Amino acid sequence: MFTMLRRRAVSSVIPLLVVVLGVFFLARLTGDPANLYLPLSATPEMRAEFSARNGFDQPLVNQFGDYLVQVAHLDFGESLRTAQSASGAVLRAFPATLQLAGWTMLLAIVGAVVIGSLAAYRPNSATDRIASFLSSTAASVPDFWFAIMGVLVFAVTLGWLPTSGTSGAAAWVLPVTTLLIRPFGVLVQVVRGAMVSALSAPYVKVARSKGANEVRVVFGHALRNAAAPALTVAGDLAVGLVNGAVVVETIFGWPGIGKLMIDSVLQRDFAVLQAAVLLTALVIFALNILVDICHAILDPRVRQRAAA
Amino acid sequence: MTDPGSVRTRSTTPIRRGRTAGALASVGVLLAVSGCSVAGGDPIGEGPGTLRVVLPEEPPTLEPCDASLTATGRVTRANITEALTERDPSTGRLEQALATKWTRNSPTSWTFTLREGVKFHDDSPFTAEAAAFSIKRATDSDIDCNVDGYIFTDSKITAKAVDDTTLEVTTAEPDPILPLRLSFVEIVPTTTDPDSRVREPVGTGPYRIDEWSQGRFLRLKRFSGYWGETPDYAAAKYVWRAEGSVRAAMVTNNEADVAIGLAPEDGAGDRAVEFTTNEVSYLRMDATRAPLDDVRIRRAINYAVDREGLVTAVFSGRPSGQLVSKGVTGYNPRVKPWPYDPKRAKRLVAEARADGVPTDTTITIIGRTGIYPKAAEAMEVVQDGLLKAGLKVKIKMLDVNAWLEYLLRPFPKGIGPTLLQAQHGNQAGDAAFTMGQIYGSKGAQSSYGTPELDALTKQAQLASGDKRQKAFADAFAHQNDEVVRDAVMANMTGILALSSHVRYRPDSATNDEMRLSDMRRADRGRS
Repeated sequence: MFTMLRRRAVSSVIPLLVVVLGVFFLARLTGDPANLYLPLSATPEMRAEFSARNGFDQPLVNQFGDYLVQVAHLDFGESLRTAQSASGAVLRAFPATLQLAGWTMLLAIVGAVVIGSLAAYRPNSATDRIASFLSSTAASVPDFWFAIMGVLVFAVTLGWLPTSGTSGAAAWVLPVTTLLIRPFGVLVQVVRGAMVSALSAPYVKVARSKGANEVRVVFGHALRNAAAPALTVAGDLAVGLVNGAVVVETIFGWPGIGKLMIDSVLQRDFAVLQAAVLLTALVIFALNILVDICHAILDPRVRQRAAA
Repeated sequence: MTDPGSVRTRSTTPIRRGRTAGALASVGVLLAVSGCSVAGGDPIGEGPGTLRVVLPEEPPTLEPCDASLTATGRVTRANITEALTERDPSTGRLEQALATKWTRNSPTSWTFTLREGVKFHDDSPFTAEAAAFSIKRATDSDIDCNVDGYIFTDSKITAKAVDDTTLEVTTAEPDPILPLRLSFVEIVPTTTDPDSRVREPVGTGPYRIDEWSQGRFLRLKRFSGYWGETPDYAAAKYVWRAEGSVRAAMVTNNEADVAIGLAPEDGAGDRAVEFTTNEVSYLRMDATRAPLDDVRIRRAINYAVDREGLVTAVFSGRPSGQLVSKGVTGYNPRVKPWPYDPKRAKRLVAEARADGVPTDTTITIIGRTGIYPKAAEAMEVVQDGLLKAGLKVKIKMLDVNAWLEYLLRPFPKGIGPTLLQAQHGNQAGDAAFTMGQIYGSKGAQSSYGTPELDALTKQAQLASGDKRQKAFADAFAHQNDEVVRDAVMANMTGILALSSHVRYRPDSATNDEMRLSDMRRADRGRS
């Protein structure tokens, strides 16, 4: 296991460097921040002073070198927009997204396991058809549309939920549901497909012939073997939640990393953008390693391959 | 998939069950605990004494010397901090604020008499020394103050306290509108950091900062030591939502009292209040490149734009013929919007073509996404009109920073003739803040100018009073009749949503400066 972890950690370093490099240089190709931060009537001298003060007048390679040295000292610079530390802004925003994504994935996985298993238990039954239809629909609904309709129906028309914000449990319902709906739909389909295969496997027949009850057969035997593909897809979907978080956080005023990232792109707030992308990339790599560990726990063959 | 290990009927050992339960419990506790930390950060139900305002964005800082930035100024100006003077957006007159009197001693020297008995939120007294400090901090520091670039640019200005209530201000060049410029310098105490931006300033305004929970809300409380009339609301709570329809829904759902920056399609319904802003939308023509270097083509473009159609079907506004709105010094009521006359446009293009003007050269409309509601659709309407007039036109929509590369000098090279979708808001109230930078031959945002227009502008900038008004009005007329650099489209309308609990009449400055003390509780009698 330790060998596997070490290999995964080492193989993550190169993509991480590519991400850091790409964000640094691509962000700087999108225009001069002085145009954005100074008034339109600012003189060329004012623009030059701004660039010099923030180091934008230096060659890009020098700027990148300075950035790497700063990062090595855990200094991510200062936000051009708020005059605060970039790492502070990112660390303040990250927990809000983590909570949102955590609840979303927990509910999506639990819901998908239950509904996907029920659908697979009797293929082509009414339950299966309804579950397949609803999951296909859920996987296809645009989250932006769903969020706005959710506000109009449940907040404005029915008055059951607040429109937005983070105040109280009711405020979580629309953001979590919006973020949940797509991963839930996809996972139901994946779990169903994997469970249909698993439930027709010989070891399930053996278990039944030994007198195991159906709950144990479905959730104890079949699901354990069906979990591996579902886990892989769940890992990808969890990574994709960062995209969904941008929409959800923008619409519902959720103070998370998705909104912070998109704002820093639009505002050319390089320091915050770089810090946010770096932290997100680290979390994604950690998540991938976690998925690998779960695979190894679920499947002894993975452990054996890793040990070999 | 088969797994030999799975044929065991007791696949879940007690150890594994314990591990799974432990993992699930850990996740649950982690999420629950962390969930509470977000849920507790944004309390609602503040009571009728609190005015709830929803903004499109969180202020980056509340730095007073950045108060000319819309996102900062609409919270800071006249609420937390105040200036020496203030401009009435309805009449255009300059009124007293922290200064009660000002006199011009010479073309470059002014004396201001300051209001007595004024205190800052930290209980320190407001003095001429604080005023001099604030002017120096805003105009001569390394903070990159927005107000310095927006209002003062090259102007050199020196302020000196004569005594506690007398301030002497001198300028390097004659400046007849110095008191107007100083309406943008927010006054802070001398204890304010002179070398870096402050996020939570101390001022003399009717409200002081109570709590700013970043990303969530900002709460102001009424300042008990305020020198002026006590405002109706004991507190104000700002929250921010980027999506216009959510802002409107917050008012209709009674989660907010005021929502600003709305579009007609945001659904504020009978809670929507329309008001004329000082923003004017226009198309800037690059008159240095063929075929736009021919004035007949520039006139044809003006005739081909259906302004009435745009304000009826695309965005809210009133057709306009000049870049400043009524109330701004220099506004010329005789300059009317160009009429929509597609036949005349076609005839002018045909005439130019017959004289050898390359009218088949493709003109690129450089648009900016989100510059106003339905910005892309507006450019499609313009494109349609120009194609019907016989011109070749394509559209390129950009985000704000990429668009700025085309707005500001030096312009990108090798792009051919362009029409730039733009919008100008003269927040300061004097045409000097429009003419030089937008129409001057060397203006930062100018694609083309003429020596005649430069001379008219220069003459107007040195004048004062009625002469100044007339000189700038003449300059606008000259640009419209002779230069025709732009196709000015419309004086834009703003929309805010107002709950039935609040009485408030927005004005042309509301988008930039939203005075909480002008907002009255509806359950109290009209004053």
